[in-house]
Amino acid sequence: MIAAPATAPSVPPAAAERPHSPGRDAWLRLRRNRLAVVSGIFLLALAFTCIVVPPFLGQGYADQNLSLGATSPSAAHWFGTDELGRDQFARVLYGGRISLMVGFVASLVALSIGVTYGAVAGYVGGKLDALLMRVVDILYALPFTIFVILIMVFLKEPMNDLDAWLRRFDFLKNLQGIGKIVGLFAAIGAVEWLTMARIVRGQVLTVKKMEYIEAARTLGYSHARIIFRHIIPNVLGPVIVFTTLTIPAVMMLESFLSFLGLGVDAPLSSWGTLIKDGADKMEDFPWLLIFPGGLFATTLLALNLLGDGLRDALDVRAAKD
Amino acid sequence: MRARLLVAPIPALLLLGAALLAPGCAKAPALDATPGPKILRFGNGTEPQDLDPHIVTGVTEHHIISALFEGLVTYDASSEGTAPGVAERWETSPDKLTWTFHLRPDARWSNGDSLTARDFLRSFQRILTPSLGSEYAYKLHHVVGAEEFTKGKITDFAQTGFSAPDDHTLVLRLKHPVPYLLEALKHYSWFPVHLPTIEKFGPADRRGSRWTLPANFVGNGPFVLKTWLSNQMITVERSPTYRGAVTPRLDGIAFYAVDSEDAEERMFRGGQLHVTQTVPLGRIDAYRSQPASPLVIAPYYGTYFYRFNTTRPPLDDARVRRALALAIDREAIVKNILRAGQEPALHFTPPYAGFTPGEVLRPELAEARRLLAAAGYPEGRGLRRIEILHNTMEAHKVVAEAIQQMWKTGLGVDVALRNEEWKVYLDSQHSLAFDVARSGWIGDYPDPHTFLDLWVSGGGNNNTGYANPAYDRLLATALNAPDEPARMAIYRELDAIITRDLPVLPLYFYKRVYLLSPKVRNWSSNILDNRGWQYLDLAN
Repeated sequence: MIAAPATAPSVPPAAAERPHSPGRDAWLRLRRNRLAVVSGIFLLALAFTCIVVPPFLGQGYADQNLSLGATSPSAAHWFGTDELGRDQFARVLYGGRISLMVGFVASLVALSIGVTYGAVAGYVGGKLDALLMRVVDILYALPFTIFVILIMVFLKEPMNDLDAWLRRFDFLKNLQGIGKIVGLFAAIGAVEWLTMARIVRGQVLTVKKMEYIEAARTLGYSHARIIFRHIIPNVLGPVIVFTTLTIPAVMMLESFLSFLGLGVDAPLSSWGTLIKDGADKMEDFPWLLIFPGGLFATTLLALNLLGDGLRDALDVRAAKD
Repeated sequence: MRARLLVAPIPALLLLGAALLAPGCAKAPALDATPGPKILRFGNGTEPQDLDPHIVTGVTEHHIISALFEGLVTYDASSEGTAPGVAERWETSPDKLTWTFHLRPDARWSNGDSLTARDFLRSFQRILTPSLGSEYAYKLHHVVGAEEFTKGKITDFAQTGFSAPDDHTLVLRLKHPVPYLLEALKHYSWFPVHLPTIEKFGPADRRGSRWTLPANFVGNGPFVLKTWLSNQMITVERSPTYRGAVTPRLDGIAFYAVDSEDAEERMFRGGQLHVTQTVPLGRIDAYRSQPASPLVIAPYYGTYFYRFNTTRPPLDDARVRRALALAIDREAIVKNILRAGQEPALHFTPPYAGFTPGEVLRPELAEARRLLAAAGYPEGRGLRRIEILHNTMEAHKVVAEAIQQMWKTGLGVDVALRNEEWKVYLDSQHSLAFDVARSGWIGDYPDPHTFLDLWVSGGGNNNTGYANPAYDRLLATALNAPDEPARMAIYRELDAIITRDLPVLPLYFYKRVYLLSPKVRNWSSNILDNRGWQYLDLAN
């Protein structure tokens, strides 16, 4: 799932004898980057584990065993248990679901807002461009974390209502705090799109002078069609790269918010809340910090290495530096 | 973009690194290397709500206020007995209804004004003024006319049982004998405040005016307010005008606002604190096995409980409340989470010599389920999500999470947790903006009455919306009981009413669990965890 951006621009192996397309070149370059490949495999394995394994554990993130209390890692509890006797392995995996989900969904939110906004600004140009980009500048000037915190506080009530409404559906019944997570998506996505909008606008400014855009315009295509069919596919390279780098930033932000107590609600956990709880108790129960902390750091590193590899593979100009 | 690549993982590592290094950072300045001023550093839990004795309700505030003010009587050095405070002697009429206090003629306020019986009268008048809305006004209702004055039925304070025949004599006329009156007088609701100072910063009945700021503050206690750094600490220094029986030995006390037990414990280990407010649950066992351990586990006259908001459905239904109360395994909480020998509370009033509960809860899941179904919510179906409000502290959260899970698996009740900072939490609690609120009540004096008068209809510390006229009537007879056994029998009946109606859910009876540095001298502690600060000393 995580490596999706890497495989997207590639072509099926069956087409190997065709002349080299830019996508295929990029795929070949990426494959030569061992670190990026290992990172991609690690991320795929991690996402698979977090998504598929938890239901088979036999223990949920909330199942307590008070008489067991906090125990160090053992055969029964691979990552040990916390003070309430909850299996830390289950909590880390369920937490991984939340953290990865927040990372991807919020990045997608940022991606869709940023790309649309930047493309419109760049394509239309003139006064609208100036106005749109000044709005971005103003939002940039706001202290970023305070802005997120404000949104989280502001969204609290509507999200509780949303939560109550969502949980009327049977398949969401057990997902307590889903509203809060949706709130996190919105809050983080709402601040992460700014850089994306700037990058896309810059790219669009270059692309829109190209002859094929002129041709499309001469053929009388609508502006929307030109933007979405002709311009955006041609600025996709930097966008993909930037998205892979946004994901770890978003995950960081989520863990930071959880660290401040603005993240997901108990008993649900994300890696951020697990690290926070673990950090408080690390002297007595170090495993409560080591496992979520180590996994989180490794994931961020892998995402960054993959992003780095993708940048080298896709962005020919930057790779020549 | 290149810079971004590097930046993203660094905060992650910093987060982890900071977490790992934190105990190293706690190696802060060692204590008193040179014989400097003797400052006791006291971990005081949280930022106090205020320092106005007529406004506050908490234990946190009590610690500071008892250093800044002194009542008619105070604690003796053992903290068990009574020593003269502003009153140097007192006598009681044979019917125990009239108390005459002779005030120390040299008693002074910290600004040099002499402290007279009139100051006490004006202070009593202030706390009873209806427009001030003091939560603790009911503590003075033993005095003739006090209750009527608070309710606005008497507007002339001279008609009440408080009087001052001369500047140094104060007379209290009670409507019934109060066997524990001297103990009650040590509580801040009976403390004098300096009205001229208060009035300089606003009307006497306005809450939260600026008179409690260090620059404006006037008190009469062994210490006087020096600095107040919000959310950090409050320092007090020895008062030059204090003329008590004992001159304070400490030069000052620093009350630290640390609401994280882990941070507090690290500060203690780093030598930044002499006394902590609590101990992280996970470290109790480690401290216990340590030789010459600074860990103190002492009796503490209080109950840890959850308040129900009885004005909100579905908690207005006593069957729902009882179901929730019966579904909790208190034994597991006490034994596995708290681990300091706390007793599970199966009724509300904590153990007291001569008092036995009239009725106790018998936790049983089957009965809890039956009650919930009878209330119209079989297996929790149709019941809205219930929110547990707690103030910021890890131990409260852990207990709340355990209860959340017990209600979820036992009854199918969905529970959310809400965490609020102390002042906001007190406010939410007082304005009934909660479903279920974590609470604790520590006795104001050693007598079950201090627990049972909480639930009087409309009482300032009731905070549940509970109102039961039969309860009020019975409570009013308690202090007219001819002797102690008769009084205890009434307490027994009152406690049984609470156990039946359950406006609150008793969880456990407190133990005072804290860390105490061996440098602290003359430390003493009674079951209310109170002491006179003037007796304490520090070793060099």
